[in-house]
Amino acid sequence: MAGAAAAERRVIRVLLVEDEEIHRFLARALLRDAGGVELSEAWNGAEAVRRVREGGAYDLILTDRQMPVMDGHEATRQIRALGVTTPIVGLSSDSLAADADAFIKAGADHFTPKPLSKEKLDNILAKFNLA
Amino acid sequence: MIMPHTHSLLLVFFGQCFRICEMWRKAADSRVPLVRQMKDMPEPNMDYSNLRRQIISMKKSLFDQGYLDEQFNQLEELQDDSSPNFVEEVVALFFKDSSRLLTNIEQALEKHPQDFYRLDSLAHQFKGSGSSIGALRMKNECSMFKAHCSNRNLEGCRRSLQKMKREHATLKQKLETYFQLLRQVGPRERAVNSWK
Repeated sequence: MAGAAAAERRVIRVLLVEDEEIHRFLARALLRDAGGVELSEAWNGAEAVRRVREGGAYDLILTDRQMPVMDGHEATRQIRALGVTTPIVGLSSDSLAADADAFIKAGADHFTPKPLSKEKLDNILAKFNLA
Repeated sequence: MIMPHTHSLLLVFFGQCFRICEMWRKAADSRVPLVRQMKDMPEPNMDYSNLRRQIISMKKSLFDQGYLDEQFNQLEELQDDSSPNFVEEVVALFFKDSSRLLTNIEQALEKHPQDFYRLDSLAHQFKGSGSSIGALRMKNECSMFKAHCSNRNLEGCRRSLQKMKREHATLKQKLETYFQLLRQVGPRERAVNSWK
């Protein structure tokens, strides 16, 4: 069920960095519902950094905090170190200020506590002029 | 003596009576199996209404008793004709994850010395997974468990784990019943978000 707005904007390329299937499943459904999204997925921070380093161009990166191999904070730092300015939004099940601060300090543009919802996603897309 | 004209009229009259009787007989014959069928069939409108009432009542109860929060409604909003089993699939993923995590937490609690960092990490995953389906009580109990981990309170963690297991079992049973009811209305009705 694509939103009406989706029909009027170009396709946006989203990289979802998330190790847990339930969160990926939910995010896929929300992004499909938003419409006009080309979704790529990475199961940990290291995979996300690799994709970006190998030329993956994204309009938005959504990244979980706690992941195996490389967490979201470190992935954000490394992506920024590559000179990539794509908006990065940190996600976490904890809504602690420390979590949000750590993401912003690592170079993320925004933080939102999980679970992702239609409203939160709409706010993110609007914030970065992707709606 | 019956006049010929009258005789003709009588013939016509009795002929019509015969035809009418035949018509009633045929109607009666055709009605019998229909009535018999109707007695055997449940009244579809009444059954659907009852089922719908049960579903709405059960869902309200799950919210009123704090088992679920608004996130569950969000999941139902995402369910449509293209993904008619979406909610049940997400919930199945939760119970698959959570059963594994409960086992891992239990095992981690029995290790000496306890690794409260790992315990917190497991509870964090559990909390996130539960929040995805709106499992409010589970999410709150995970927060309690995490607080005990921060305080390195082993007994608190053990008590909290027992509560998590009870809440988990209760929620699973209630949601299984809820989905069984939903399955009875069929996939098309299930996909329509009308259970508010």
